[in-house]
Amino acid sequence: MLFAVGDYVAGMLIGIATTLAVRIVVWPGMDMVIAMLLGMAIGMILHFILGLALAPLLGMFETMLPGSLIGMYGGMLFGMRDSMAAGSSTLLAASVVGAIFGAVIVAGVKVYGRVVRGAVLETGR
Amino acid sequence: METPDRKTRRKWDEASRTLDFFTFAEDRRLGPHKRRLFEKIRGATLLVAAGTGNDFKFLPPNLNIAAIDISPKMLERAAKKAAAYTGKIDLQEMDVCDLQFPDAAFDTVVTVCTFCSVPKPIVGLRELHRVLKPDGQLLMFEHVRSAIGPLGILMDLMTPIAARFGPALNRDTVGNVEKAGFHLYRVENVYLDVVKAIEARKENDV
Repeated sequence: MLFAVGDYVAGMLIGIATTLAVRIVVWPGMDMVIAMLLGMAIGMILHFILGLALAPLLGMFETMLPGSLIGMYGGMLFGMRDSMAAGSSTLLAASVVGAIFGAVIVAGVKVYGRVVRGAVLETGR
Repeated sequence: METPDRKTRRKWDEASRTLDFFTFAEDRRLGPHKRRLFEKIRGATLLVAAGTGNDFKFLPPNLNIAAIDISPKMLERAAKKAAAYTGKIDLQEMDVCDLQFPDAAFDTVVTVCTFCSVPKPIVGLRELHRVLKPDGQLLMFEHVRSAIGPLGILMDLMTPIAARFGPALNRDTVGNVEKAGFHLYRVENVYLDVVKAIEARKENDV
């Protein structure tokens, strides 16, 4: 139970960190392609750092795999949004969206994990 | 230029200092799955890549096991945990690609997060095939490349960085087991389709 809560907190943290870092680097009017590439790079670096920091508490796989999705794809989405100045005008609003994005990805990974868990080949010895 | 085995040894010597710290939670989350796989161990057993001995606590009691690792620093740490095990664990420094055991020496070979790091995985798996008796079993707890599109791409992208300090993230270990001549009879997804319990057999007629 504690691990499950921790997974969501970690995902939200990575989402918030990514959204804030992208907000600092990407400005309204920036070329969207550049903004998305920058966002992706920022998200990947941040997920790697935060994932390593959280891995001893939550497990390497359980932090790194959802974290990589949040960092990479979240970074791209946040970069696209900020280059267009499309919504979340305050840092607080952007952080809330980042946290929601992180939590949704963690939930999605958990649901998918349940779907694919178990034997995928079983022929007997 | 440094040979792949020396490079691997140096990498894991360095990693031995922090491995227990980084795997603290992983042991608690994945430990029960390892214990369930290890319950299938029978007969003369080889444990490949013993590491710091973190997995010894998941072994059934009172076994007599040969355990190898390429890193002497890992083995130094593993020695304390081996001493606490209720059976006997004989630790030896050895490269899985060049095993110093005779043919058909073991009934069971166990690997845990090993073939993400072996530079030549098929060579290593063929060595395991050689030292297994006919009908011997290979029990593996490994992480592999995800077949889930976006995740698989990410694992490919992260592997060049991750492999500098630890494992490659995009190995096709299930495919490699078959390429090495084993007969796969059970593959279980433990975490997503990334962490897997793999069971294979050396065919009698091979």
